[in-house]
Amino acid sequence: MADTPSPPAPPRISVRTQTLSGRLALAIGAGLIVTLLSLPFWASQGTIRSVVELCCYIAIAQMWNLLAGYAGLVSVGQQAFSGVAAYLTFVLAQNFGINPFVAIVCSLAAPALLAVPVYALLHRLDGPYFAIGTWVVAEVVRLIFTNLSYVNSGAGMSLRVMTQYTALERNIAICILCALMLVATVGGSYLLLRSRYGLALTAMRDNPVSAASQGVNVGRLRFLIFVAAAVGTGLAGAIYFSSQLRITPSAAFSPEWASIAIFIVMIGGIGTIEGVLVGALIYYFAHQWFGAYGASYLIVLGILTMVVALYLRGGLWGFFSRFVEIPWFPTRRKLEPRP
Amino acid sequence: MTATQAGTAAPILVAEGLGKSFGAIQVLHDLDFRVERGEVLGVLGPNGAGKTTLFNLISGDHAPSAGTLHFDGRALTADPPYRRAQQGIGRTYQIPMPFSKMTTFENLLVSASFAGRKRESETYDRCAEVLRECDLWAHANTPAGQLTLLNRKRLELARAMAPGPRLLLLDEIAGGLTSEEGKQLVDLIRRLHARGVTIIWIEHVLHALMAVATRMIVLNFGELIAEGTPHAVMDDPEVQRVYMGIEA
Repeated sequence: MADTPSPPAPPRISVRTQTLSGRLALAIGAGLIVTLLSLPFWASQGTIRSVVELCCYIAIAQMWNLLAGYAGLVSVGQQAFSGVAAYLTFVLAQNFGINPFVAIVCSLAAPALLAVPVYALLHRLDGPYFAIGTWVVAEVVRLIFTNLSYVNSGAGMSLRVMTQYTALERNIAICILCALMLVATVGGSYLLLRSRYGLALTAMRDNPVSAASQGVNVGRLRFLIFVAAAVGTGLAGAIYFSSQLRITPSAAFSPEWASIAIFIVMIGGIGTIEGVLVGALIYYFAHQWFGAYGASYLIVLGILTMVVALYLRGGLWGFFSRFVEIPWFPTRRKLEPRP
Repeated sequence: MTATQAGTAAPILVAEGLGKSFGAIQVLHDLDFRVERGEVLGVLGPNGAGKTTLFNLISGDHAPSAGTLHFDGRALTADPPYRRAQQGIGRTYQIPMPFSKMTTFENLLVSASFAGRKRESETYDRCAEVLRECDLWAHANTPAGQLTLLNRKRLELARAMAPGPRLLLLDEIAGGLTSEEGKQLVDLIRRLHARGVTIIWIEHVLHALMAVATRMIVLNFGELIAEGTPHAVMDDPEVQRVYMGIEA
């Protein structure tokens, strides 16, 4: 390019990507991970069980947030992926004698392999059609497992091999896996969004047509996000059911998993990592305190979701961010002139 | 630039027999034209003449029903939009489509690093320079959704410019602006042209187009009805009849 007429002198600039609140959040996050790892040595079985549950909610919701919030893929069938990973864990551990904790990691192959044909089948569908398609896939997978005698059909399986470990050993292993899961799903999303691909994902979130016209391969990114979200969701399913020691098709492939993920992301704030954490905490405590009320509790959660969807599009985190900007996971690139 | 001067180098874009129909409606019909390197080709025509559809075919947002497009000697027809952007075709949309929650600077980073195929950090200086040049420096860290119309139009242009395209498609970039704002934008486009960018520009704001265009084509009902220098085209009785409603 010729340089006539010359543009103004090249500005000296720097680009800031980290903030004080971000550094603080990283330190707190590291502290929480260490606390999670120390749980087996001081917390009660009940506490550990509910913390494991919370970690699984966070992971599943974070994956759904990547899918729906960034890639624009609204899925209501993610339970297909958590279910197949959990089932493969049980099969590898019970029928093949593989160490159950190793089996959890190996089982991630199942959601990854399932995600490829599912995406090939569904990627041409738009918005609500895609959502219904994912739901159908999850139901088909549930029906297959319900009728598969190899996995004991509808009666489900138990993870009896766990009895060879003491409760402490089991808790240590599960807490380590939970910590790894949080680092992979929340930390992984954070790193992804701070990378060059984060720019593309955020651009896609705002306007996919425009993103494609600016050189972003939207189709390939959607595919990669779909597979990554399937694996992350699968990990949560495998950990959750391994800690429960029992699995049935109706529990593993329950649409409730999708409802929980959608609730958490909608309430907390779609398209932000912070929103998922806020939403997961709200769901967790609502479930702990009011879960016993059964149907009326679900009605209240449903109304709450509708109110947020109608009046607070960005969720609670989005509402909060309107007034103060203290991101826990900053992904902004701030341009600053350098003197 | 005269036709003979421009003819010395191979044209940057060649359309042959280009056609597009949506169902039974034929929007573009058997279009042949070429765009020479370094020119500003103005595209004129009444509403519904197929101008934006022509851009959609060049940028890849739509696939042509007939004909071929060659960019820099290479067939474009099968390439998806992102790959055309990577090859150096930048476009702005008539209704600005910024990444509204990203800042102005981040909007530029997307195109500079993806269309420009560079690492993000390698594009920082270039994006800052384009922001300065497009008078957006003061709004670098403002979310694009909060910009005024003029600044959103500037952003469309800046985002398309950030990767350093060889061909720039401007779709009614001066529309909806006050005459003073339009003048600022025309100055900006003239500066870009002076640095060697080839531009195809659809515009209804005639004086803006006439001020910069080196050649014009006129479309009516999907067909090319006139081609030539801006003044020759505007003096064409057919163009006057179709575009300005002046009966000869």
